[in-house]
Amino acid sequence: MKISDLLTEDLVVTHLEGNSKDDIINSIVDLVATSPKVLDKEKVREAVFEREQIMSTGVGDGFAIPHGKTDAVSDIAAAFAITAEPIDYESLDEKPVRLVFLLVSKANMVGPHIKLLSRISRLMNKAEFREKLLHVSSPKEIIEMFKQEEATYFEG
Amino acid sequence: MISFEYILLVSSGLILISLAIAKISDNFGVPTLLLFLVVGMLAGSEGLGGIEFSDVGLARSIGTIALVLILFAGGLDTKWSSVRPVLREAGILATAGVFTTALLVGVFVSYAFGFSLLEGLLFGAVVSSTDAAAVFSLLRSRNVSLRGNLKPLLELESGSNDPMAVFLTLGLIQVLTSQIETAADFIILFIYQMGFGAVLGFGLGKAMVFLLNRFKFSYQGFYPVFALAFAVFIFGITAVINGSGFLAVYVAGLIVGNSEIIQKRSLLRFFDGFAWLSQVVMFVTLGLLVFPSHVASVVGIGLLVSAVLMFVARPVSVFLSLAFSKFRWNEKALVSWVGLRGAVPIILATFPLLAGLPRAELMFNLVFFIVLTSTVFQGWSIPLLARILNVDAPLERTPNYPLEFDAPRESNTELVDLMVPYNASAVGKTIVELGMPQDSLIVLIIRNEEFLVPSGGTVLESGDTILVLVNKQNLPHIRELLAEQRAKEEA
Repeated sequence: MKISDLLTEDLVVTHLEGNSKDDIINSIVDLVATSPKVLDKEKVREAVFEREQIMSTGVGDGFAIPHGKTDAVSDIAAAFAITAEPIDYESLDEKPVRLVFLLVSKANMVGPHIKLLSRISRLMNKAEFREKLLHVSSPKEIIEMFKQEEATYFEG
Repeated sequence: MISFEYILLVSSGLILISLAIAKISDNFGVPTLLLFLVVGMLAGSEGLGGIEFSDVGLARSIGTIALVLILFAGGLDTKWSSVRPVLREAGILATAGVFTTALLVGVFVSYAFGFSLLEGLLFGAVVSSTDAAAVFSLLRSRNVSLRGNLKPLLELESGSNDPMAVFLTLGLIQVLTSQIETAADFIILFIYQMGFGAVLGFGLGKAMVFLLNRFKFSYQGFYPVFALAFAVFIFGITAVINGSGFLAVYVAGLIVGNSEIIQKRSLLRFFDGFAWLSQVVMFVTLGLLVFPSHVASVVGIGLLVSAVLMFVARPVSVFLSLAFSKFRWNEKALVSWVGLRGAVPIILATFPLLAGLPRAELMFNLVFFIVLTSTVFQGWSIPLLARILNVDAPLERTPNYPLEFDAPRESNTELVDLMVPYNASAVGKTIVELGMPQDSLIVLIIRNEEFLVPSGGTVLESGDTILVLVNKQNLPHIRELLAEQRAKEEA
């Protein structure tokens, strides 16, 4: 499954407002809830915060990947945001976060879920790619960049 | 007198042969149940085995108990969350759909072959239900995968329509033997049977959940025994008061399977085994019971009735039943074709025989033939048709990795997915060097979308997703191990 297929322009924002980690997670859950795949927004919120409690998903270098598994989505829903301000996300490297990818999967789709986590994690592990993302201005461009990046790394 | 040891030897031999043949034919896509039936026929009095078996009553008893276990196991294995969206549609198919099928087939055979209308309807009722075992084994096999809600719809329909067929068959026999006089009585009987079946199945299913969780058996082996006995008890008590025992066990299975119970996994496995045993025994028995030469003598009209059932009765009843649903025409066409007939019609066909109705013998052989054609033609062509109608889904490759974990109730263990942070000091270390706490295990590493089963010497990489089986108390320790960052100058 491709990340660029999961994202539509409605599910990407370039200036996500919020002052704290909780703000940001709440806003991006609201964002993903605009997808018809989300059946129950509050349950999604719960699942994401629950996972966050186990261990912060701020994996470092300014990137966070909040995620969760719940039957409140019909299969796999995602959203991507660049925060308006650097956010203290309780990241493991204590660096503030700018890039946030939310992934929510149906409870029985563990396989695809962790594969996507692995794919996102690999893409975002490239400093140049993170840098490029921070300098785009529109959701359309962001999706285009994910497309290109995926084409380079996973099909080439 | 044949010795008991001899009977044991032969019956176990037949089961083993059936399983071996099923295994060998795994790759040819032959419907497994058909093979069991053929083994029975070959072993029978007209086949190689020459076993004389013509005890219709015994065959019916075996069929009944097998069906009870298959329905209970089917209910146990049905996820409520997946069938809930199709509850209404499946319910209509299982009642009105079955009735329509029975009516259309009944009218046809009475018109075409000079059966009386009631006899025709009885025949229609006998073949009216689709077979849960056949549909389940088809849908869960590796050759076919259906899109959207088709799979839960078909599973729920086939699991829940047998009680309707049983009711129609037994009800019509009572009419034919003049135990029921008016249409009103017939309808009252229907409401009574289904009502008691559903209510007792629900209530006793709940009771079973409560008792399973309440009893602290000192031997684990008691749990499945208790559940088995209780399932048969639910059937028995419902049937004794004239409710639909089959509906009751299916509903009870649904309730139990969707509740939190102790030992759920082992119960599911136990009943899965029992359901398969029931399938083999039931089909082999029915294969033994039939005289292939008698079936061969009805090939002509058999083909005709099969065709009417497959191409007219079933499609009409499906399209009528689903007229107000969201399913599209191609989906309805597929549902029409997944009208697999199985053991239930053959078991039901023994009832007229035992009731001594005229033409019962002809009906039995016809039913047998119809089941054969349905299994062969429909069973084989469903994957192809699904592709043509564009309702198939890409086959999910289910990797055999421990991606899911059902924590036992009293344990503290959990399976969590964690990510190795980009600049963690754990990056570049082997798992042994990492020094995981006791009671925790990295069971799987997902790297570049590949699943790796780690060993102690596996080196962690930045951004790896790992599945960790961990005692909850140790979670903070693991969090620390992963959170620790590489020294600043390296980062």
